[in-house]
Amino acid sequence: MSSRTWLHDMNPALKFILVVISMLTLAWFFNPWTPLIFFLGIVLLQFLFSRVNWKIWFLLMIPIGFTAIGYLWTTLLFAADTTGNVIWVWRGFEVTDEQWKTALSLTFRVFAFSSMSLLFAFTTDPVKFVMSLMQQLRLSPKLAYGVMVGYQFLPVVREEFILIRHAHRLRGIGKEKHAWQRLLGMRRLLIPLLAGAVRRAERSAFAMEARGFTGERRTVYYEPIGIVGRDWLMTIVIISLLTVSSIGGLLLS
Amino acid sequence: MLKSWKLKEVVLMSVFAVVFAVVYLLFVQVGNIWSGVIGPIAFEWIFGIWFIVSIICAYIIRKPGAAVLSETMASVIEVMIGNAVGPRLILSGIVQGLGAEAAFAATGYKRYDWWVLCLAGVGAAIFSFAYGFLVSGYSALDPSLLALMFGLRVLSGAVISGLGGKYLSDGLLATGALRGYSISRDVPKKHKIKGEVIG
Repeated sequence: MSSRTWLHDMNPALKFILVVISMLTLAWFFNPWTPLIFFLGIVLLQFLFSRVNWKIWFLLMIPIGFTAIGYLWTTLLFAADTTGNVIWVWRGFEVTDEQWKTALSLTFRVFAFSSMSLLFAFTTDPVKFVMSLMQQLRLSPKLAYGVMVGYQFLPVVREEFILIRHAHRLRGIGKEKHAWQRLLGMRRLLIPLLAGAVRRAERSAFAMEARGFTGERRTVYYEPIGIVGRDWLMTIVIISLLTVSSIGGLLLS
Repeated sequence: MLKSWKLKEVVLMSVFAVVFAVVYLLFVQVGNIWSGVIGPIAFEWIFGIWFIVSIICAYIIRKPGAAVLSETMASVIEVMIGNAVGPRLILSGIVQGLGAEAAFAATGYKRYDWWVLCLAGVGAAIFSFAYGFLVSGYSALDPSLLALMFGLRVLSGAVISGLGGKYLSDGLLATGALRGYSISRDVPKKHKIKGEVIG
């Protein structure tokens, strides 16, 4: 079925706006059902309309699970609202049903946000995302191409990082015992890395200008990115999921 | 706003954004694992790390918008690298950058002393906390815990991003790589001499 590529083909800027809208909407709900329904809906959408490597998806969800557990017990221990019926007592420490609901809500919220983020990360091509920000959201070309230059340097930065580490080790540096020593040692790593970055930035800026880059907006793009009918269909699907989970959450709680 | 910017300054911001985007993502991983043990407060004492690029870029380039643009760029690149925090990072990046920018704007983009940089770190901390209050549901938490979190974040903003940012930039200035940027135009002589010797 070709519908498995719909989320991948969707306009990145539109997808980005949808993620932001649903996040800002979910932030107002403190019942456990809204984020839970939304989370399940997003997973279902991903299942239907994208080709996601679920093994990697689960791997990425593990650290998020840790954060969620942290939220769960912090909200239980330090709740602002301690009204409601006591449902659980342990060594003089009481948990009310209201507290439990809020804690669950914040925990599911972590999952809901992350599922949305993973949906975006798994189905969006980074270069197309920036191009779409420039073409649909009118991001300045100077900034857009600037970001692209930085992005292209990513593997170079990684390589240089390893190189500097090796050079340090050759000279017998880099065996710090304490965490604070390692934090101060960051300077030794970062300064050569940044100095290299400055030089590279200058060279590529000159090269871009030498090839006629002025930073003016173009009228025609080599790779035009548009919004097609199917994008609006996906938008309607996601917005209705958001509405259903908001109303459903209010009704169920 | 971008008319007065040279391309090399924009590219400098973006390349710095790449370096720090990698650092930021590393610390997100560290924070995530810690926060399973000690809750959301795990992020607070290292929160200053996430403001550092805006302070370094504003300190080096010294133009209106340097703080907010560099922080936004770093967050866009974090999203491009791909991570589980996702597109909402861009929003928090803009908010943090605006916080730092507010401090530089308040001094009229004229002063770049250590206390202004610390103030920028504090500004970013305040803005990001207000944003976190909404998005992460801090309103469900006990006010005394919130006060502790807020205090830690402000302190971390001032020390790690403010002082740390200055420490890094001054080290970078001494290498002589920053010739041609505003930072090396009005610095005391001893830095320049040091720069010539080392760079």
